[in-house]
Amino acid sequence: MSVPRGAVHAKWIVGKVIGTKMQKTAKVRVTRLVLDPYLLKFFNKRKTYFAHDPLQQCVVGDIVLLKALPERRSKHVKHELAEIVFKVGNVIDPITGKPCAGTRFLENLSDSENLTEADTNYLSEKLQELKVCSSDK
Amino acid sequence: MPMKGRFPVRRTLQYLSQGDVIFKSAVKVMTVNYNTAGELSEGARKFVFFNVPQIQYKNPWVQIMLFRNMTPSPFLRFYLDSGEQVLVDVEDKTNKEITEHIKKILGKSKETLEKEERERKKLSHPATFGPKKYHLRECMCEIEGQVPCPAFVPLPKEMRGKYKAALKNEASA
Repeated sequence: MSVPRGAVHAKWIVGKVIGTKMQKTAKVRVTRLVLDPYLLKFFNKRKTYFAHDPLQQCVVGDIVLLKALPERRSKHVKHELAEIVFKVGNVIDPITGKPCAGTRFLENLSDSENLTEADTNYLSEKLQELKVCSSDK
Repeated sequence: MPMKGRFPVRRTLQYLSQGDVIFKSAVKVMTVNYNTAGELSEGARKFVFFNVPQIQYKNPWVQIMLFRNMTPSPFLRFYLDSGEQVLVDVEDKTNKEITEHIKKILGKSKETLEKEERERKKLSHPATFGPKKYHLRECMCEIEGQVPCPAFVPLPKEMRGKYKAALKNEASA
């Protein structure tokens, strides 16, 4: 039986980076759904893994795909960074390929170009009120 | 006293074992990105609420991660052992359609499942009896056509050791 990868049980895992204070190593928290035997409900169970990140490109909060190393790199490091799935603050929607934040696309944002009718009406009303106040004084 | 929660049937073993999506052994991680508001994400939300427990119950070694409100469009992403990633767009689909789709693309087919079932059956012989963990029946008295358990039905006189010993004494005396 060949062991190309796998002194470790988990070959590929997805987790969130929680620490980058170590040199070329990222601390990643991985959650799995575990069934509670009495409630029969799934809860997230966390486990931290250390991953080798040679270019130190991970920031705390990134969602990251880890690949198991063929043999252990050090006492705790058994995985390496395969790919950053979602970079924090710079999430790219994989279906459209555009940058997004939450439920909105970030592409078309600029100050005055994309104001809707309602926005311009509201702003002009506010300006009118200001003019009235200043004339009273 | 009814069960607590909105759809407590999701928390029954019968419901969980009714899930029919069993992933191929190459699938390692499943990621679901969905939004908590919006019509387009409705199917994805129902999928997470109703079907993800069934899938996780049937595939205990697949890591499932749920991400909420990260991108405007809902999607599923599978990470396979070969490094391949499968992206499934679930915008505007019902949860039933989503399960059918992933069953078709990444689920074990019925023939494979039946073959595995047959392999498992081959290992254990149904005619033997012993501890409940390894056999169907514990004692010979449970088998049809055999002498019933004397705890429930008293043995006929001729089979009892008491009678046999008395006969032997009479014969010798």
